[in-house]
Amino acid sequence: MNGNLSCDECMERLDEFVDRELTDAEIREVRLHLEFCPPCEERYRFQAGFKRLVKVCCEQDKAPAALREKLQKILF
Amino acid sequence: MTTLVAVPDQRTDSAAFSEEALTHLDTLYRGALRLTRDPDRAQDLVQDTYVRALRYQHSYQPGTNMKAWLFAIMRNLFWDRFKGGRQEDVSLDDLGDFALYDTLKDTSAIPETEVLDRIAADEVVKAVEKLPPLHREVVLLVDVEGFSYKDAAQVIGIPIGTVMSRLHRARQQLQKQLYDYALESGIVPAERSA
Ligand SMILES: [Zn+2]
Repeated sequence: MNGNLSCDECMERLDEFVDRELTDAEIREVRLHLEFCPPCEERYRFQAGFKRLVKVCCEQDKAPAALREKLQKILF
Repeated sequence: MTTLVAVPDQRTDSAAFSEEALTHLDTLYRGALRLTRDPDRAQDLVQDTYVRALRYQHSYQPGTNMKAWLFAIMRNLFWDRFKGGRQEDVSLDDLGDFALYDTLKDTSAIPETEVLDRIAADEVVKAVEKLPPLHREVVLLVDVEGFSYKDAAQVIGIPIGTVMSRLHRARQQLQKQLYDYALESGIVPAERSA
């Protein structure tokens, strides 16, 4: 088994790599490719940055205190 | 499948269940807010989710993913209540192989990742809320709440492959919307005519 991915193969796995869905062996292959391929590595950084952006922006709301109190009464 | 059923003290078990369930309140509220796009409806949805969770707590297996379990209850309530149980797969505009990275690389003088830093949080939330609900919930589960494809698939009740394809198209749609916003707001200069 040859561990050298082509750029296309690497990009096909990008979503799963960014989402941490690959096996350890697959992660090693992608990492190895990214280490030696600046264009793919740049694209990876962008996709990871985009995922982080969505998370950070959508994570800012907190449940209102009144709701928390109401639920305390219901649950306990 | 072996399940260890412990029934020593019902009251303590129930309190422990409630306590753990409440640790997921912010997560559920955020999800409800994104799904309903309305703070009042979001609060109602979350409250009903907890009421139902309490009623069905015996069906929760301690030690498994409670966040996923609660999310599953909530999204089912959401679909029943607001969509009459119909989970229509609204198709997204066909964006071909649009990728924000490539578009920026071709048209923008600003480094691609720097463009991301300049996008306002409000605009990202708006773009997420504009997604059709079936695509929106996949983004919420995987990108915002960090669910694995497998857990997201279980919550929604679809195959993993469907999670992946919806996620891919949802991200593409988000990127397109944010690109349009970046153009309109001047973050990215209007396309150079080649
Ligand atoms: Zn490459």
